[in-house]
Amino acid sequence: MFYKVLPIVEKEVINNKYFIITFTNFEMAEQSCPGQFFKLKGLEQEFPILPRPFSVFKKEDSKLSFLIKVVGTATKNLSQLKIEERVALLGPLGNGFQIHNGKKVLIVSGGIGYAPLNFLRDGLNKADNEITFFHGGKNANDVFSKNIRIYTEDGSIGEKGLVTDGVEEFLSQNQIDVVYTCGPENMLRKVKEICEGFKTKLYMSMETVMACGIGSCCGCAIKVEENGKPVYKKVCKDGPVFDGYKIV
Amino acid sequence: MIDFKIKIGKMLWKNPVTVASGTFGLEFGELFDISQLGAIVTKTVTLHPKQGNAPPRIAETEAGLLNSIGLQNPGIENFIKTDLHEYRIIDTNLIVSISADSISQFGEVIQELERQSGIDGYEINVSCPNVESEGIIFGTDNKTVFKLVSMIKKTTERTVIVKLTPNLTSIENIARVAENAGADAISLINTVYGMAIDIETRKPKIKNVIAGYSGIGIKPIALQNVFRVAKVVKIPIIGMGGIRNTNDALEFIIAGATAVAVGTQNFVNPLSTLDIIQGLKKYLDEKKVQYKDLINSVNF
Ligand SMILES: Cc1cc2nc3c(=O)[nH]c(=O)nc-3n(C[C@H](O)[C@H](O)[C@H](O)COP(=O)(O)OP(=O)(O)OC[C@H]3O[C@@H](n4cnc5c(N)ncnc54)[C@H](O)[C@@H]3O)c2cc1C
Ligand SMILES: Cc1cc2nc3c(=O)[nH]c(=O)nc-3n(C[C@H](O)[C@H](O)[C@H](O)COP(=O)(O)O)c2cc1C
Ligand code: FES
Repeated sequence: MFYKVLPIVEKEVINNKYFIITFTNFEMAEQSCPGQFFKLKGLEQEFPILPRPFSVFKKEDSKLSFLIKVVGTATKNLSQLKIEERVALLGPLGNGFQIHNGKKVLIVSGGIGYAPLNFLRDGLNKADNEITFFHGGKNANDVFSKNIRIYTEDGSIGEKGLVTDGVEEFLSQNQIDVVYTCGPENMLRKVKEICEGFKTKLYMSMETVMACGIGSCCGCAIKVEENGKPVYKKVCKDGPVFDGYKIV
Repeated sequence: MIDFKIKIGKMLWKNPVTVASGTFGLEFGELFDISQLGAIVTKTVTLHPKQGNAPPRIAETEAGLLNSIGLQNPGIENFIKTDLHEYRIIDTNLIVSISADSISQFGEVIQELERQSGIDGYEINVSCPNVESEGIIFGTDNKTVFKLVSMIKKTTERTVIVKLTPNLTSIENIARVAENAGADAISLINTVYGMAIDIETRKPKIKNVIAGYSGIGIKPIALQNVFRVAKVVKIPIIGMGGIRNTNDALEFIIAGATAVAVGTQNFVNPLSTLDIIQGLKKYLDEKKVQYKDLINSVNF
């Protein structure tokens, strides 16, 4: 974990909702694993006060990229930064995804949930996993890659419908060991319901509002089952990846 | 050489900068050498483990932060077994923040800690309800504060700091009571009551509804509280509430604080305490002023 102020070295605007910013730092990149995240805040941007959490989207040598969706003030502020402008980064944070070797794996992604799963795919590939990638969004603007199974609610690209529509069918026809998922709450709930029937392993990346991001403040509590009892865990430190069946 | 050393009760601090309870933890040790702080204040611990309040516990507002953590902590026994071992080897003063549901329970917590080495002081968090007194907040009742602080002073030789809530009609009264009961120092302020509502769902943004407000928005409130208390007590004050940088810290010191604590800003820049230590040194050097002459030096 490091705290550093770094200039943006690359910026790609995907469309009016999404953009990618890239930083170069050897130590931070070296330590980053799929599923981990950083807290980011533009150096000159005083409000909102709290730096916001963003998953590592891509890592290439010393380069770290974040795929960001504009939803409110902090993300809008970040979207307005130009190359060379400086951002304070804290990370890598959180536990990251557990990666097994040589498994049959299904990735289920919804909207901006794609960000950590994109980096996860690289990690799974290195560990000789056989990967199927499903991604869903509202429309073509929410799609970041073409060579995966795509679902959009309006059918503007890929199949029309929810990503979870395809998951049940896929699991009933294929023997899958592990499912990894990240996305909106409704989608996660549905993925859990479906996976329960097929007894796959299930790793879910969760989101909460965060303050410290490093496990000190207990602000990011989420209820998780432990030894048959519900307890509060910290999304920033115990997560953001949890056993999907244990989320209460 | 800038002389920064201050005395808080029996403690000698190498500089006047510490952290606000609940906003800091051992994790910060991965980012910088935390022995550089004048003191470390732990998150509040209680006799029994507390699981904390239902989420959401945090919401940002226009000029600060709302929180309702509910004093989540592992309880005194687990604290002693885990965190305390790591804290006590850090080469600076260790202040354990404690809270309880009743005066007798405060006593039990102190007794447990008295058996442990490596603790330099206690910060008594009185911003919580007293179950023996119909849930009235300890820190709002003069008699209770007197009884509590007198009891604690009898139980320990260590430095006792009373942390005051600003949610009061007269903070001067309570501060005086704490001093008369033997408190070695006063820290203030704890969070200010606050609330925020999501207008789409009409739900409070914090599950517990009423929350504690902290950060830059409370700075003027905190500052005038420090100023008022400094006028009526002789014991040192640890000032906090919205401190982000050296200039904010200087205002508190000039208003009457002997030391300052950084809270919410730790979430923004985890190294801000170090920046403030450096910044204070630079200010003293440039202004050719002694630190002790800066404390409580408002020019009217
Ligand atoms: C571990 C983790 C990883 C994340 N990774 C990414 C990522 O890779 N890319 C990305 O674009 N976003 C990611 N997010 C979400 C991102 O942090 C939020 O979108 C951001 O904090 C919103 O800030 P804002 O000021 O723009 O919006 P705000 O004004 O704070 O909020 C605008 C809206 O977004 C909602 N919102 C706020 N914070 C969150 C949150 N943490 N999660 C979900 N909704 C939120 C609010 O309820 C509100 O409706 C991640 C969140 C977490 C916890
Ligand atoms: C997330 C959070 C948790 C806190 N937990 C505690 C606590 O356990 N005990 C305590 O005495 N004060 C607690 N506080 C209050 C702070 O110690 C401090 O008094 C207050 O936040 C004002 O300082 P600030 O504006 O610099 O944050 C907490 C504050 C925050 C924001
Ligand atoms: S955000 Fe502070 S503990 Fe997770």
